[in-house]
Amino acid sequence: MTLRYENVSFTYPGAKAGIFDISLEIGKGELLAIIGASGSGKSTILKLLAGFVSPDRGRIVIDEKDVSALSPEARRLGVVFQNYALFPHMRLWENVAYPLKVRGVSKTERRNCAVEMLDRVGMKSRADDLPAALSGGQQQRVALARALVFEPQGLLLDEPLSALDASLRVEMRDEILRVQRASGIATLLVTHDQEEALSIADKIAVMRDGRLIQLGTPRELYETPADAYVAGFVGQSNLWPGMIRADGVVETGIGSLACDTRGHKPGDAVTVFIRPERIVPSFDGAQQSADAGRAGGYFSGSVAADRYLGPIRRIDLNVQGGLIRLETHLRDAVTSVHVPADAIRLLPAN
Amino acid sequence: MSVRASRKALAAFALPGCITLGLFFLLPVGTVMTGALTDGGAFVRLVNDPVFWNGLKGTLIIGTAAPLFSLVVGFCIALTLARLAPKAKTAALIAVSLPLTFSGLIVAYGFILLLGRAGFVTLLLAELGFDPAVVGGFIFSPFGLGIAYSYYLVPRVVLIVLPAIGNFDRNQLIAARSLGAGAARAMIDVMLPQIAPSLVAAFCLTSAVAIGAYGTALALVGTQVNILPLVLYSKISETGTDLPAASAASLVLIAICVLIISLGEAVGRKGKASGA
Repeated sequence: MTLRYENVSFTYPGAKAGIFDISLEIGKGELLAIIGASGSGKSTILKLLAGFVSPDRGRIVIDEKDVSALSPEARRLGVVFQNYALFPHMRLWENVAYPLKVRGVSKTERRNCAVEMLDRVGMKSRADDLPAALSGGQQQRVALARALVFEPQGLLLDEPLSALDASLRVEMRDEILRVQRASGIATLLVTHDQEEALSIADKIAVMRDGRLIQLGTPRELYETPADAYVAGFVGQSNLWPGMIRADGVVETGIGSLACDTRGHKPGDAVTVFIRPERIVPSFDGAQQSADAGRAGGYFSGSVAADRYLGPIRRIDLNVQGGLIRLETHLRDAVTSVHVPADAIRLLPAN
Repeated sequence: MSVRASRKALAAFALPGCITLGLFFLLPVGTVMTGALTDGGAFVRLVNDPVFWNGLKGTLIIGTAAPLFSLVVGFCIALTLARLAPKAKTAALIAVSLPLTFSGLIVAYGFILLLGRAGFVTLLLAELGFDPAVVGGFIFSPFGLGIAYSYYLVPRVVLIVLPAIGNFDRNQLIAARSLGAGAARAMIDVMLPQIAPSLVAAFCLTSAVAIGAYGTALALVGTQVNILPLVLYSKISETGTDLPAASAASLVLIAICVLIISLGEAVGRKGKASGA
């Protein structure tokens, strides 16, 4: 079953915030992540699909049927909330069985289904406990089981991992992906965590000020961001204002850089973009700089910050005219770097 | 680090409360009890008096119906207040609490001015063709008395129930809706069980207030409606005063109120213990 937004717009009453002309489709078994800063409209996208708010314009389509005017209960979508929203007065199996209860399934049958679902998320042994007795991760598993037990047409995850600590977040991320893949259900994930989105989504939509800025696979978003905002929001990046000086050469604050300038003409203003891990530490850089010059992409400078992140280091190198951010797994001191021409992308000027 | 008060300090803090309890509760109740028990026939006379049984019946009816009505109205008001912005909520709460500052007699007088036989609303409705004798008689009936009681029972319900509704995680209702429950079903299955202790507590408190209320009833219905406080009044003030029987009736009234309040406390504690 597919979930689709067709030119959907919505603004909150008495406010300018909302979403504008959004078109998206989530195919069967696909996981689409919506990312964006606070207030970008990503949660509104989920609310519109869930039926918690109705669009001002456009259509919400589930399985080729316009559901824009349907109530949340009529849409058959499983929702996992940021705070899980488990019912504290119900035992775990009762929580999971609730969607079956409202659909008139007999008590024995719904208990069996609930326990089976709890088994799928590794919580069968706690079926008779109350939610208060569980950790955040365990509550998350139960919320996931509850959202899937009635075989919904789609699964909506509203910042499901944001309340968990870092190590548990990675574990639960894999768990959600495993359960989602096993269910083969169209899934919408709303998150502010770009790493979470990159790691489990088939497609990612980047939102800004209520508008869809870019939609693509994680690789497309990371390697070829549409603009400087996406480049800066998804992962770490070096973004330098620049101007095309000649074919194959762009002028930036740190100097001239050789790169592919196709699609631009001399004098065009651009933003030069390169990922920090594509910057190469150069341990004989001083000599190479002297030999090749700055246009050869070699820079030397002083270390402004050297952050130890375990497997890698993130270094800010002060060079003449600006700052170069790089990531390296090397442990040696880095004072010179090489900016490879094939790693540079030119984005529209801000 | 916790700072523990000494026993002497605790005793000093408790003393005013103990004195008040002794002087204004234990002593009067003891006196009433002595009055009822010294005359061995007081309880017998009371039990054999059909007026007492009618009064008890009337008290139990009004002590159930008025709080139930107030509970429904108060719950709806609390639901609305919980959704208001802080400033609007404060203003609305002040307005809702205002009736608590009036004495029962003033409330009764207000109702008579509004709904009595020559009341503003009665005369207005008379213009529209409604019989003023019927409309004006309503407030002097048991139902009218129940409505008048609700005037100061509803604010009590709101004040007790509002914190429970305010602390309730509304995401649970949204979750229930997304899982297939309609709005009413979600409220019944998810919200009501969690705020039930406060609803029971509100019912019990308002029931005890309604059962013991006297001024409003006397001013509105005189002795036309049979309820225990008015039976008690008649045994003290009318010809044929029977103070021992009045004391016995007082003890019955106190016992009913204590029972109801205890029930409310027990349910409230159970709710707190289960984390609801």
